[in-house]
Amino acid sequence: MKATTLIARDELRLMARNRVAVIAFTLLVLLTFVAVLSSWSHQREIAELRQRHAAIAEAAFKAQPDRHPHRVVHYGTFIFRPLGPLAAFDPGVDAFTGNSMFLEGHRQNTANFGDVRQSSLLIRFGQLTPAFVLQVVAPLLLIFLGYGVLARETERGTLRVLMLQGASRGQIVRGKLAALGLVALLAGLPAMVGFGLIAGQPGALVLPMLMIALDYLAYLALWVVAILLVSALVRHSRDALLALVAVWAVVAILLPRVAPDVANAAVPLQNRLQTDVAIARDLRQMGDSHNPDDPHFAKYRQSVLDQYGVKTVGELPINYKGLLSIEGERLTSSLFDRYAGESYEAQVLQNRLVEATGVLSPTIAIRALSMAAAGTDFAGHRRFLEQAEAYRYALVQRLKKLQADDVSYADDTARDMEARQRTRVSSRNWQEMPDFTFVAPNGTTLARAALPDLAIVIGWLVLATLLLALATRHLGERR
Amino acid sequence: MTLAYGTRPVLQGLSLAVPAGSITALLGGNGAGKSTTLAALLGFVRVQRGTIGVCGTDPGAEPDTARRRIAYLPENVALYEHLSAVENAEYLLALSGERHHRAAITDAFSAAGLQKQAWDQRLSGFSKGMRQKVAISVALLRQVPVLLLDEPTSGLDPRATADFNALVTQVRERGTAVLMVTHDLLSAADVADRIAFLEAGRVTDDVAASGPERFDVRALHARFQSGAQGSTT
Repeated sequence: MKATTLIARDELRLMARNRVAVIAFTLLVLLTFVAVLSSWSHQREIAELRQRHAAIAEAAFKAQPDRHPHRVVHYGTFIFRPLGPLAAFDPGVDAFTGNSMFLEGHRQNTANFGDVRQSSLLIRFGQLTPAFVLQVVAPLLLIFLGYGVLARETERGTLRVLMLQGASRGQIVRGKLAALGLVALLAGLPAMVGFGLIAGQPGALVLPMLMIALDYLAYLALWVVAILLVSALVRHSRDALLALVAVWAVVAILLPRVAPDVANAAVPLQNRLQTDVAIARDLRQMGDSHNPDDPHFAKYRQSVLDQYGVKTVGELPINYKGLLSIEGERLTSSLFDRYAGESYEAQVLQNRLVEATGVLSPTIAIRALSMAAAGTDFAGHRRFLEQAEAYRYALVQRLKKLQADDVSYADDTARDMEARQRTRVSSRNWQEMPDFTFVAPNGTTLARAALPDLAIVIGWLVLATLLLALATRHLGERR
Repeated sequence: MTLAYGTRPVLQGLSLAVPAGSITALLGGNGAGKSTTLAALLGFVRVQRGTIGVCGTDPGAEPDTARRRIAYLPENVALYEHLSAVENAEYLLALSGERHHRAAITDAFSAAGLQKQAWDQRLSGFSKGMRQKVAISVALLRQVPVLLLDEPTSGLDPRATADFNALVTQVRERGTAVLMVTHDLLSAADVADRIAFLEAGRVTDDVAASGPERFDVRALHARFQSGAQGSTT
């Protein structure tokens, strides 16, 4: 048997005979299993709940009686963001951003009902998901199991014993790497089982799954190499443990918590109230469609009259109120889009700043990668908001066009009950309205979005491996 | 061999040969350079001037090759606490590329005087003497041409010292070159074929055993006392 294999086997035997190590490892495996199962069941419940509510909302919208189209515009409808299968592995920002939207005319609402707002504060610390266990808990267990792999041999003098039996420095380090690497693989196994469950789901995308599997492999390998590096550099295992726990605390806890705050301070984002006030101010400047002397709408009215070659809106073959409403919606929506765009850009900038700290913390990099590949990152949330807004605009404009085409101007401006009755259009119109369908990105798009962070994690792995190779050359030397 | 740690000279032209089938004791006080000599022979430090040959191999240039020819018994025997005596021997011998049946290992333990009930016990409860017996058994089983001993009898009671010396003599009989670094003049005089005095990194005296008395212990003692004081001061 090769020296590398013998050394790896002995390291595993040592771990197996260490009761604390066995308990810690068993706990991690159990924790990951629990995380996989609970996350899986949670996501299924959420998906079913959203599907049910979406169906109820659609049915309620379509069940409206014959009525004036503008009332339907204000009746509005709810849409829900469907979750992809990979959300069971990494729900990403879904719990924080809200997952349902109320769509109505003249307003661009934000998503509501994030899980965090409905749950205890504990969820803010970190949800028990397979991704969280692998990102934060597994490295800590690897540290506790592996901090002494080389430092202990140096401290007790057995490193030289190994070398005196003819084992080279490289063989010793490779043997220890193999042992700790195997433990890391076993620790990740329950998550892989979860992956297997996800792979069987409709809509599961192979490329992002491969990307996630590869990245977590690289991430755990990075921790294994880093643990060996620190263990090789110090002479006492206690020092290795202290140094590694400090590194873990900074990389896996501190930086991921501090980076968003720093990004928020660097690129402040307007809150909802500030945005609403700013939009109201701009709307006032834009014009008032109810004011006959408003310059913008006076000009618009004249352009419509010119287009149809008539002198008054009453002579138009089309309901001017409907046209005015369409124009008003176009203007307000362009304003909403501008503010939403500015907000998105600020958030993109914030996310870039956070992801840039991935250069300092591979945990941030893997978190970003995992969410991007799972489609649960900010880009995924934005995709939902943009599709929802496009749907809202099309729905509202379609209803307003109904008003323009199917409701006469005379009836629409009359105040008597009979005229009101005549403004009602057939409910068949809402029944024929298309439902909201979220178009999920394809696997290539998700995988491509995850590439920069994969490069960071692999860059870290390469750097740590080079440093370990350097440290290996001086292993056991008098210091 | 000449070697300095920084500006502090440790070995200053030390010259020594240990023939096959002989035991050489290297005596010296604290700071005389004994441990550094062993570290250089094992390839853990490289000499700045001079050459070392372990059966023709320079341990500075080819440490792994040289180490395969050496069995080394440090003052504080380092073995694996989580393994039993037999498992330690199996593991270390396997690393050396040698496979020995349990019977061969336990025979070596018996020869080294390790009691049967200790064979399958983990080393965490072993005394220094018991650990040394495990280590010397491994060295015996490896059958390498060179055996280096660093203060082997330090901390052993007289009976254990006598047993140990008998074992070392057996090793020599097999043609092994034994270099023993020690403070223990009496033990050295009992077992060595030659005693070299190391002072300030060089051999200042080299006495071979002769006649039925082998060494004039009284004269050696006086010589050692003066040398040790010189090294310490």
